[in-house]
Amino acid sequence: MDSTIVAFSTWLNKTSLAWAVIHYPWVWPAAETLHFIGLAMLIGVIGLMDLRLLGVAKRVPFAPLHRLLPWAISGFVICLLTGIVFFAGDPFQYIHNWVFWAKMLFIFFAGANVLAFYVTGVFRKVEELAPGEDAPLQAKVIACVSLALWIAVMYLGRMLPFLGEAF
Amino acid sequence: MEFLAWVEQSGFSVWLRESPSVWAYPTILFLHTLGLALLVGASMVIDLRVLGFSRSLPLEPFGRFVPVLWLGFWMNAVSGVLLVMIDATKLLANPLFYIKLGFIGLAVLCGRLIANRVFPHWPAAPERDLQTSSRVLAGASLFFWIAAITAGRLTAYLFTGGDLSASVR
Repeated sequence: MDSTIVAFSTWLNKTSLAWAVIHYPWVWPAAETLHFIGLAMLIGVIGLMDLRLLGVAKRVPFAPLHRLLPWAISGFVICLLTGIVFFAGDPFQYIHNWVFWAKMLFIFFAGANVLAFYVTGVFRKVEELAPGEDAPLQAKVIACVSLALWIAVMYLGRMLPFLGEAF
Repeated sequence: MEFLAWVEQSGFSVWLRESPSVWAYPTILFLHTLGLALLVGASMVIDLRVLGFSRSLPLEPFGRFVPVLWLGFWMNAVSGVLLVMIDATKLLANPLFYIKLGFIGLAVLCGRLIANRVFPHWPAAPERDLQTSSRVLAGASLFFWIAAITAGRLTAYLFTGGDLSASVR
């Protein structure tokens, strides 16, 4: 294990955030509940955008659907913050578990996919997608990759206590 | 109670619960999470639109997404029954479990009422405000889903016979 990660984990585990997670037994279940609510917001908005690009409910124009993106970002931020709460409470059960690193890697890939959607001009192509209009192939590929990656992220998250040995 | 104990001790339940295979208990939990994301996620999008966010989004074609909601619903109904079979005596003795089912029932009812009101009627005038009653239903739907998730999560921690921190994570 990289010593910077171990040092960071040791430091984080001594912060007052970690103390609160360990000291108050309701913090963990509350953070889990928020993690699930954030997950529903993120997957709900992103998933329906992906499905629209793939041709489901094609009569829905893309731009107004895309306007709900702040809700997906809020969901992601809720998951990120509550994720930090879990990590602070027990960092060593995560850093020694390959499933955790696989989940982080897939979140990174999902982020890279979002970046690809905006910087390669695909978003500009689909922004004005009229009701009934088919999305171009590149957009469909990105949508498909997005669905697969987010499902994989959820799978790995749910598998944290079951795969690997650290829990 | 005897019946529940029998269900819990049946060969299938024992396999689901105790098999070291990731295809048993962990996979059912995952499917329950995926179904939640589909059902609650897509419901939230519809609720937000009805509440007045992204008003240029036409609701009528949105009806095509409803099968996604039902897919999530049935995934969770089936995986939920399996999860109950694994832990029948404890779960069915937990008041939070019934509270969760009550919230799900109310949320699904709100969803159906919203669908009946908005999907057939608004192809022509999507920018117009929806009736207040639909907005109230959308707000209630959001509340009931969040309450159902909260009750569901707390079922693993409260009234389990152990203390809060000792339960299954």
